[in-house]
Amino acid sequence: MAKYITKRILMSILTLFLIIFVLFVLIRIMPGNPFPVERMSAEMILQKRAELGLDNPILVQFADYMSILLSGSFGNGTSLYNGAPIKPILLTCLENSFKIGVLAIFFGTAAGLFIGITAALHRGKFLDGFCTVLSILGVCIPSYVFMIFLQYFFSYKIPFFPYFFDPSQFIFSSIMPSLSLSLLSVSVIARFTRNEMVEVMNSDYVKLAESKGIYGFQLMRTHVLRNALIPVVTVIAPLVVDLLTGAMVIEKIYGINGVGKLMVDAIAGEGIDYNYVLALGIVFSALYIGAMLILDILYGIIDPRIRLAAKEN
Amino acid sequence: MKKILVLIFFTLMLLTTACGSDSSDDKLKVMLGSNIVSLDTAQATDVASFEMISNCIDGLMQLDSNGKPIPAIAESFDVSEDGKTYTFHLRDAKWTNGDDVTAEDFVFAWRRHCQKAEEYAYIFGSTVACVKNADDVIKGADPSILGVSAPDSKTLIVELDAPVPFFPSLMSFPTFYPINEKFYSALENGTYGTSPETFLANGAFSLSSYVPGAANIQLKKNDSYWNAAKVSVNDLQYQVVSSSDNALTAFKNGSLNVVEISGNQVEHVKQNAELSQNLQIVPTGLLQYISFNQDPKNNHAGALANANLRLAISNAIDRESLVDNYVMDGSQATYTAIPRHFAPNVKTGKYFAEDQKQFADYVSFNVDKAREYLDKAKKELGKDNFQFYVIYANDGGDTVVKVVQAIKSQVEENLPGVTLNLQPMPKAEYLDRLTKNSYDIAVTNWTPDYDDPMTFLTLWTTEGCVIAEHWSNADYDRIIADCTTGALAADYDARWNAMYNAEKILLENAVIAPLYTGSNAMLISNNVSGIDFHSAGVNRVFKSAAVK
Repeated sequence: MAKYITKRILMSILTLFLIIFVLFVLIRIMPGNPFPVERMSAEMILQKRAELGLDNPILVQFADYMSILLSGSFGNGTSLYNGAPIKPILLTCLENSFKIGVLAIFFGTAAGLFIGITAALHRGKFLDGFCTVLSILGVCIPSYVFMIFLQYFFSYKIPFFPYFFDPSQFIFSSIMPSLSLSLLSVSVIARFTRNEMVEVMNSDYVKLAESKGIYGFQLMRTHVLRNALIPVVTVIAPLVVDLLTGAMVIEKIYGINGVGKLMVDAIAGEGIDYNYVLALGIVFSALYIGAMLILDILYGIIDPRIRLAAKEN
Repeated sequence: MKKILVLIFFTLMLLTTACGSDSSDDKLKVMLGSNIVSLDTAQATDVASFEMISNCIDGLMQLDSNGKPIPAIAESFDVSEDGKTYTFHLRDAKWTNGDDVTAEDFVFAWRRHCQKAEEYAYIFGSTVACVKNADDVIKGADPSILGVSAPDSKTLIVELDAPVPFFPSLMSFPTFYPINEKFYSALENGTYGTSPETFLANGAFSLSSYVPGAANIQLKKNDSYWNAAKVSVNDLQYQVVSSSDNALTAFKNGSLNVVEISGNQVEHVKQNAELSQNLQIVPTGLLQYISFNQDPKNNHAGALANANLRLAISNAIDRESLVDNYVMDGSQATYTAIPRHFAPNVKTGKYFAEDQKQFADYVSFNVDKAREYLDKAKKELGKDNFQFYVIYANDGGDTVVKVVQAIKSQVEENLPGVTLNLQPMPKAEYLDRLTKNSYDIAVTNWTPDYDDPMTFLTLWTTEGCVIAEHWSNADYDRIIADCTTGALAADYDARWNAMYNAEKILLENAVIAPLYTGSNAMLISNNVSGIDFHSAGVNRVFKSAAVK
């Protein structure tokens, strides 16, 4: 198992390195300058590019960037926010997105599991159909549309929640964006949970357990849920990263200073801030790779067959 | 179960009380259309940043409600006879850390700005402020040679290469604002202006809550401001709102007092008796125009080197229909290269472009005339069909997208044989295409930095700016040189007339096709008054605003 984990970690590091390289090259060949140029003369543009080291061969630029990364920093912005150091700004935005993401995961997983389990237990009946319709709606409605709906009814028609995000009331004003963000995960988790549970409940070993006299909660806990949740965990992991890395449109609409909004700001200006785009790309990739790594390890814990297979290898 | 419900009810009650809006009368909540890019005067390039800086920092001068320059940190100033030396006498003013605002703060900020050579450094140079040696410092010379000095802490001397008639007005622009050197030098590199702790104010407001990228920015009245008695707003809150639908709803429910809405919403607002009272159309100095790439080396654009073809396109566009049916925010069709409601003559008070018919021979909507021009162009070029790529930035809202589509349909309908292929793209890529000469026609705009026609006219000189039409005219260049650094710089009337001559050369050659002068459709709460709007420089000023 330790060897398996070490191998997976090394592979993850290699993947991340390759992603950084590809991202770096793609950003450098993208049209546009990393600073606003509208009022600059051609000479000033060249002078500024040279100052930022954009004249150097791309591999030299990459080596410089890697040395900044390895020193534990993301460098400074090329145009955004005075060219201030990126790390503290990125951490603030990550923190905001994380907090809202965690709330969304909480809402999404709780509601998703509840709907999925309810549907599976009432398979073929009205509640099953109702839950299926709910989860299909959740997939079909984009989260920002749901956000606008919530904002309209619960901030405008009934002015209960603040209309815009207010950092001084973080949790209270996080409820609407978190609920909107959780919509997709509710649906996905509910559908997977229901399907997996139905499949497991029809399997021979559950029937055997029933014939041995195991019913109700004990059967669900020890035989059905444990097996049904493995594929569900697979779905939850990328969803978690999705939620944690923010949602561009929702953050824009509600005015949340999160990583989604930071990405839009870095790209949408007169100049594309290369270093912010890179830093965010690296963080997003690292989170995905990290989530998949944890997932692989979790598989081993949840499913003994994977542990055994690893041992045999 | 009952207990749980009661608990939930009380929790919600508690939260609602916590979130209840502050009904304080001196709080003003304002929409900001885009993020603040930078609070550093040397790096700010956008409307939002300039507005925020001007709320917190005073420069030498400020503009009154009519756009006339009046003293700010400078209590008074003297000008030498030749108009090339300004001596500003500074009043007693304080930074928020208790330090005095000194002439050295200006010297430090100006030298630093030219040395950093960011986008707005050009404004110190020979096309605008003409500060002595600014061009050399921008190119890398020692900043101490810049024509600005502080013989004592309350006197600032500025030496110019040429007289600049609008120099006092220019001193109200944030690029010329001071920075406290001692405070700045104590900060980690790049952190100036990234939080209330790393930013120093000497103006009407100080920062109380801000992080880079924040959608919610809070300012509070600066009690140590030299003119604090005239500031009545205690809390100025900004909310970045990217959608005008959101802005309108936030205005309706009282979350914001001042918002900007889109052209589509203006009709809706006009039909609502209550809301229509809050509507205010504020003319801006933005000029939306078509830029023709005349570089003969460019495959498609080669044909656009033909003046008749450009005139044909310019005269085939119905500008009134563009503003009435697509822009709809009060913007006005424009037939001059200088926008309307901009640059008033200091003697007559008339706007430079008040007479919109003076160039009607070259810029109008006249399909017959447009076809005549087209026929001439076809003969001269020996071609019957022309195809051009039209580039434009589509990330600034859907108005430009609709306008460009309307232009395509009008031109193709009115000029048989001319086809326009539309190429929308993000602004960064669009600017890249302009700088790399990779376009035929660009639908673009320019916002004035200062209240003088030269902020536009210098765009089309041979040196020009990034939007290069690849057009060069010796007479035009000579007039602009005469008006900026030459013989006419000191003669107000002669300079004014010469600028009309330059504009005539520009339009008879159809170097550009002006489209419309922009406007902002604002909704302002009934209890808010005293906001100053300016068409150049900082567009909104809240120093004199009041909430009843």
